[in-house]
Amino acid sequence: MAVRSISVKPNDIPPGSLSLLILNTLSRHGEMHGYEIAESILHTSGDVLQVEEGSLYPALQRLLVQGWVSAEWGTTAGNRRARYYRLTAAGRKQLAAGLSHFHRIYGAITAVLQPA
Amino acid sequence: MRQLLRRLSMLFHRSRFNADLEEEMRLHLELREQQQVAAGLSPGQAHREARRRFGNNAVLRERSFAAWGWNWLESFVQDTLYGLRSMLRSPGLTCVALLSLALGIGANTAIFSFLDAIVLRSLPVKAPGQLVILGDGDEDGVTDRYGSTTLYSYPFFSQLRSKNAVFSEVATVLSFNGEAHGTIDHRDQMEIISPDLVSGTFFSTLGVEPAVGRLFTADDDTTEGAHPVAVISYAFWQTALTGAPDVLNHTVKFADTTFTIIGVAPPGFFGITVGHAPDLWIPMAMMNSLPAHYNGYKDNFYQSNHIFGRLKSGVTHAQAEAEINVLYQQITRGFPDARLNDYNLSHLQQAHVAITSIATGTAGLRHQFSDPLKLLMGVTALVLLIACANIANLLLARSTARAREFAVRQALGAQRLRLVRQLLTESLILALIGGLLGIAFAVAADRILLRMISGGPDADLIPIDVSLNLPLLGFSVAITVGTAVLFGLVPALRASQVEVTGALKDGRSSTNAATRNVLGKVLIVAQVSISFVLAVASVLFLRSLVNLTHVDTGFPRNGVMLVNMDSSVLGLKGADPRMIAMFSQIEDRVVAMPGVHGAGFAAFTFHQGSWNTSINIPGTAYNDAVNIKHNVISNGYFNTMQIPLLAGRIFGPQDTATSQKVIILSESMVRDLFPAGVNPIGRHIYIGKDPDPRNDVEVVGVVKDVKFGNLQEHRQYIDYVPNPQHPWGYGTLAVRYTGDFNTVSKDVQNTIHSINRGLTINRVTTLDRVIERSITNQTLVAQLSTFFALLAVFLSAIGIYGLMSYLVSRRTNEIGIRMALGAARASVGWMIMREIVLLVVSGIALGGALTLATNQLVQSLLYGLKPTEPLSLVLAIVALLAIALPAAWLPARRASRVSPMEALRYE
Repeated sequence: MAVRSISVKPNDIPPGSLSLLILNTLSRHGEMHGYEIAESILHTSGDVLQVEEGSLYPALQRLLVQGWVSAEWGTTAGNRRARYYRLTAAGRKQLAAGLSHFHRIYGAITAVLQPA
Repeated sequence: MRQLLRRLSMLFHRSRFNADLEEEMRLHLELREQQQVAAGLSPGQAHREARRRFGNNAVLRERSFAAWGWNWLESFVQDTLYGLRSMLRSPGLTCVALLSLALGIGANTAIFSFLDAIVLRSLPVKAPGQLVILGDGDEDGVTDRYGSTTLYSYPFFSQLRSKNAVFSEVATVLSFNGEAHGTIDHRDQMEIISPDLVSGTFFSTLGVEPAVGRLFTADDDTTEGAHPVAVISYAFWQTALTGAPDVLNHTVKFADTTFTIIGVAPPGFFGITVGHAPDLWIPMAMMNSLPAHYNGYKDNFYQSNHIFGRLKSGVTHAQAEAEINVLYQQITRGFPDARLNDYNLSHLQQAHVAITSIATGTAGLRHQFSDPLKLLMGVTALVLLIACANIANLLLARSTARAREFAVRQALGAQRLRLVRQLLTESLILALIGGLLGIAFAVAADRILLRMISGGPDADLIPIDVSLNLPLLGFSVAITVGTAVLFGLVPALRASQVEVTGALKDGRSSTNAATRNVLGKVLIVAQVSISFVLAVASVLFLRSLVNLTHVDTGFPRNGVMLVNMDSSVLGLKGADPRMIAMFSQIEDRVVAMPGVHGAGFAAFTFHQGSWNTSINIPGTAYNDAVNIKHNVISNGYFNTMQIPLLAGRIFGPQDTATSQKVIILSESMVRDLFPAGVNPIGRHIYIGKDPDPRNDVEVVGVVKDVKFGNLQEHRQYIDYVPNPQHPWGYGTLAVRYTGDFNTVSKDVQNTIHSINRGLTINRVTTLDRVIERSITNQTLVAQLSTFFALLAVFLSAIGIYGLMSYLVSRRTNEIGIRMALGAARASVGWMIMREIVLLVVSGIALGGALTLATNQLVQSLLYGLKPTEPLSLVLAIVALLAIALPAAWLPARRASRVSPMEALRYE
């Protein structure tokens, strides 16, 4: 059985938002392989979002099952075989829906957290 | 949908999935490592840092896999493999379990397939629920009785069809369609072909479409003799015509008429009577062209047909019945030749036409077999229950033995649900394998059963479809899964309820032992009581069968050969002097043959149907409720059958077509119907109601009573008339013989053919075979219930043995102590036995109560004994004890042989 290792780190990303991060990253940069996605998230967040890098891969599998991303094997600049992920049409739709949901919730939280 | 496809494709490319994931992760780690090295870490540090940041590789891989939602499958596969392994670890137990399951499920499936084919299945026609028959369709023949509500004349049908407003279409079929000899194309030999005479609306009413060509229309059936056409059955096309594609160019000739085949009925279609599958259908308008030359097409009172119709939508049974009854009176009374005297009118007034649904066809076989089949279904269900109890008991025993394993697994964090699921998976595997074996067993059993139902190895198979089909497989799967849950759930729940610490401390005496014993004992009592019910039933049926085989038939059963022939192929009427002469010539020549002691013709030999009417005995009150069975016989018949003459004389050459008509009566006719003390010899009576001189006959003899239709019947009133005075196209010659059946049979056939080459002989059998076949039902029930009862008792014995062995093994320690303290072997044996004897006795007591409560169910299937007879109960008790006690004794004896030292050391 899958054993869940729940680790609470200071810079953990909120649960559930990893998919959104991946989708958005792919929408911004087109085709990427796993390492590139991890690096991109890391840099874009100014090294704040410390993803447990490996957890990217189960998340990518979930996106594959949903049909939001597609994967194809290609070659890296360093001439290594790598699996490249790209957004599908359905993924684009999901990203839009996810973003609007996120902004709504985020806006609400921000409003509540306004200093008095 | 697409998601499902993706998931499935992932499942099938499992190894590539793993390899891809592996490669992708490796790349990630390596790139990170390079990056760390570039950032200034040592290679070793870089490697560790990359790993740390990546996380637990194995867990991530598992979670990636879990994303695809196949976890349940994986754990199912695990459970299955684990289950198979643990089954293989105790092969003896597994074999017993599988065998009892296979027999239990197989027997249920086999009996159900017959129940389905004969009782439950709807006709293979369009919307069978709309079809109804006038009357109950449960009578066949011809009657001129007024007020007949099951048999109707063809003219009645024609009028009903045009006048009614409740049926969208109406059809009719001759009720007694039998076999006839006919010629296919221009072949040399005639073949036995079974034609059904039907109205032109027959197929359209049933709503079936032809496989080839066309079916009848009303036009084929409007002018008598005008349309010599036939629709053949699919099976006949495939066998007799070997599926010839040009089937429409073929013909079938009956008597002088050649019928053109115009179409083939769809596969599986047989009409409306289950168990009667005609080879072909012929329009009613051609009835006179068949060899039997039926004359009823235009006769208003030749009431010989069944009428059925398709209800218009929205018309209820009650509405239809009301309208049909109005029409019934109107049409019958409106016939110009209706004899509306007081007597006939009173019968007509009392007549009420009931309307019966024929969604599942007309009775036919159902009449004969539905009760036995339902009974056997119940019996097999009980056997399956016993098998389930057994397996539950075995699994309980095993799960107790596995208590330690479960405790370990629970201690290691396995969830209870997971353990229950594991155990249920195991019982499901057991049940599924048992179910598969059971279906294989059922397929074989179906063939044997069909043989048995059809009346033995030399009988023609009854044409019913008992092959595996969807409802049947559904039924098997349902009982399989049902049994798995039944025998798996309790042990599973019980086993998973282990108290971890206790069980770990001591695998041999876990805390649930006491409850487990109670449950095991309850199962044993249930098994014994069910076995007892079945044992009583089988003893009853066996004794009933024995009673039947000892019934006094009125004639010696053995040594009589019955030669069935078809004299209608000669194209002569029964009254033709050449026919009469031919029959007496055959009789004279056969009786003179070596090895033959008597030969005689009869219109009806045992179990062959009857011709019955009332009679009028002058000087007594006429009673039309008394039906007399008439038999037309040749002079040698009584001698052949050895039916004793009690008074007067038998027929002789002096009884000719022109001499005074004579009759011989059976003894109970004389005793019951004649005024007491009157000598019947020389008295004149009338066959039928009217004192018409044409029906006048003189009584010349009295013979002993005989069984006529079946063995169970009460005394029958039978009389006999000589063939020349009541010509009958005979079908059966009885020959009393000694010596080898085959030799004599061949000689007799040669002799018959030397007299008339054209006479076709259908089959030769013996009287005792016919008698045996007449009690097929009882034989079937007796044999099968005995088989199942033995099986039940055997399974219970296994259960008892299992429980005993278990008890003994649990008490080895105690036994050792007792024996060390000086207990005698015998008393130790008895101590163990006492418990089981108590269980068996309570089982028998419970079973006895059940038997008394349910005995009415079997009453109708018994002959010559009551279900409550003590002898049967005693026999069943003895049989059960004889098997159950040794099963218990073996482990008990082993217990008493235990060496105290060994027993104590073992603990």
